[in-house]
Amino acid sequence: MKTQGSRLPRWLRSEHPFPWLFPVTSLLIVFGLYPVLYSLWLSFYKRNPATRKETFLPSHNWSKLISDDRVWDAVQVTFSYACIALILQLVLGMLIALLLDSDKKGFGILRALMTLPLVVPPAVTGMMFLLMYDSSFGVISNALYSLNLLSPDAPILGTGSTALWGVIIADVWQWTPFMVLIMLAGLRALPKEPFEAASIDGATAVQSFFHLTLPMMSKIIALAVLIRGIDLFRVYDYVKVMTDSGPGTATETLTAYAGTVYFKSANFAYASTVALATLILVLVTATLFIKIFKVRF
Amino acid sequence: MASVKISNLKKEYGPVQVLHSLDLEVADGDFVVLLGPSGCGKSTLLRMIAGLEPITAGDVFFDDRRVNDIHAKDRNIAMVFQNYALYAHMSVRKNMAFSMRLKKIDKKIIDEKVEWAASILGLEPYLDRLPKELSGGQRQRVAMGRAIVRDPDVFLFDEPLSNLDAKLRVQMRTEIKDLHQRLKTTTVYVTHDQIEAMTMADEVVIMRDGVIEQAGSPMDIYDNPGNLFVAQFIGSPGMNIVECQVSEANGKLCATKGDLQLPLPSNANVINGQTIYYGIRPEHLQATRQASLAASDSNDKSITGVVRVVEPTGPEIHIYSKLDNQDVCSISRDRVLWAPGEDIHFIPDVEHVHLFDGDTKLAI
Ligand SMILES: Nc1ncnc2c1ncn2[C@@H]1O[C@H](COP(=O)(O)OP(=O)(O)OP(=O)(O)O)[C@@H](O)[C@H]1O
Ligand SMILES: [Mg+2]
Repeated sequence: MKTQGSRLPRWLRSEHPFPWLFPVTSLLIVFGLYPVLYSLWLSFYKRNPATRKETFLPSHNWSKLISDDRVWDAVQVTFSYACIALILQLVLGMLIALLLDSDKKGFGILRALMTLPLVVPPAVTGMMFLLMYDSSFGVISNALYSLNLLSPDAPILGTGSTALWGVIIADVWQWTPFMVLIMLAGLRALPKEPFEAASIDGATAVQSFFHLTLPMMSKIIALAVLIRGIDLFRVYDYVKVMTDSGPGTATETLTAYAGTVYFKSANFAYASTVALATLILVLVTATLFIKIFKVRF
Repeated sequence: MASVKISNLKKEYGPVQVLHSLDLEVADGDFVVLLGPSGCGKSTLLRMIAGLEPITAGDVFFDDRRVNDIHAKDRNIAMVFQNYALYAHMSVRKNMAFSMRLKKIDKKIIDEKVEWAASILGLEPYLDRLPKELSGGQRQRVAMGRAIVRDPDVFLFDEPLSNLDAKLRVQMRTEIKDLHQRLKTTTVYVTHDQIEAMTMADEVVIMRDGVIEQAGSPMDIYDNPGNLFVAQFIGSPGMNIVECQVSEANGKLCATKGDLQLPLPSNANVINGQTIYYGIRPEHLQATRQASLAASDSNDKSITGVVRVVEPTGPEIHIYSKLDNQDVCSISRDRVLWAPGEDIHFIPDVEHVHLFDGDTKLAI
């Protein structure tokens, strides 16, 4: 023991936290903090598209952002997307978890199968749904045609009013299992005695759910909302693959807009500003949520 | 209100048989106490009456209604759980009010009922606390409160006072008894505490290993235990039991063990040579310092032991002695000071001797 200890370099035997924190701290600084600060610095520059020269003018991009209608549209799309998808995933996740919360034979396998969508790469999910929505051969479109719920003149992803829903459904398909997993973990950890007491007190299953299950799971639900909410806020892959923000800008989220500005207009300064605005919006929303619902980690 | 009838009730957990064909009838308005050692199946029986535990075989009836397939929520019972089972996220007030809120009872009546229960249980200062902010005994009282605010057909209590201090326990015992005398609600009450069983019950049911050993009024069970187990289980301090042989001395039958000779009741239905258990309650074993007195009373040799421990309880003194390598307890109401190591002579009250068969362990 002693010989091995003394063979290690001195800094590895240190009681001081710094050597142990150094690797992860430096990674965070290089790949996390530095890019953020760099975008902040970029956002203070004005880019001249003709000369491709950048001049330091801190107010330019930020005031442009405020008066940019496309940004406000994107904020609205982003919020709609995140809220609708979150609610669907939450409700579906809870319902499926309630169904799967059983010790009967076969339920273990069902729970395992449930996780399959999670292993599909999001871009692949997007392509898959793109094909299924296809107005000539897509299964989903054809099924809706035969139910008279959809007409071939208005393809799902090509119509402004349905395109966002089309993308949301792909997201819901992929991420509901994640909710199911979290909800199942919560449900399985609930003590069963209060539920017995409630049935003695005359509570129906539905009453037990609303009076006991939900309040007892509130912490877990809040955590799931937070994790998924932040994730949904920065959606990019589904939109990019399925609609590329279209038709028009009907499905243009903030990150999609930032991507367009960055990769299509090569206006790195303004793209950084939009991206930073997204970050600020996420932080503010998440902080409000944490404060209001008293989420604790 | 309802009577409860259990017929041929069985419970198995996989290969483990926990209850073996129980039969029990609780008349409408009766207060029945289930008494038995830990693990004998009292809680299981109670939970099956409540409808929380699937029934392996047999039936449970409320009045004439077979309730086997009726869900717990529809049986109109109130229950105090052994582990309290409080709603952790609700205040004490909400815990107690829950059943009434589900029934959409008027808010004012709910408040009145909760205040009433809280005053009986001494919970008024804690009404707005969460269960985790209460002591074990306080939680148990909340569980109690949750039951007594109800107006059920049957009360089921699973050791509802086990965590209270001695004084509070006596107080609560009286409250429960008073409540029962006023409401006359059929009650099944599980306890380990003999005094609770004796003082509260109309009928005591003694259980062991999933079998009912004996059922009857408390005094009847105390005076006429049907078998050795019941005799030893009921009474505190417990009955003194000596395994001995029936033999003849001076033309009379008596029970002997080694040098020890114990007098038998005149009408004892035993034969010479039979192995029996000789039982006598401590209060029927008079202790004296005068060997002559003891000898003349028992016709023969005096029964003599050595004092080991003396426990004064206030009204009476419990004397534990060694008698022929056997621990014997006697109760004396006289304020005689006994010292450990001193010789002690016993005069058994022959008419109160209990005899049990050596093989079947049943009362003779
Ligand atoms: N889920 C279970 N699986 C297997 N055996 C069980 C289960 N629950 C209880 N038992 C067994 O059933 C028997 C009766 O248990 P029960 O809880 O009814 O005892 P009890 O008389 O209430 O004891 P106590 O006085 O300690 O509360 C015990 O031997 C226990 O080990
Ligand atoms: Mg028990």
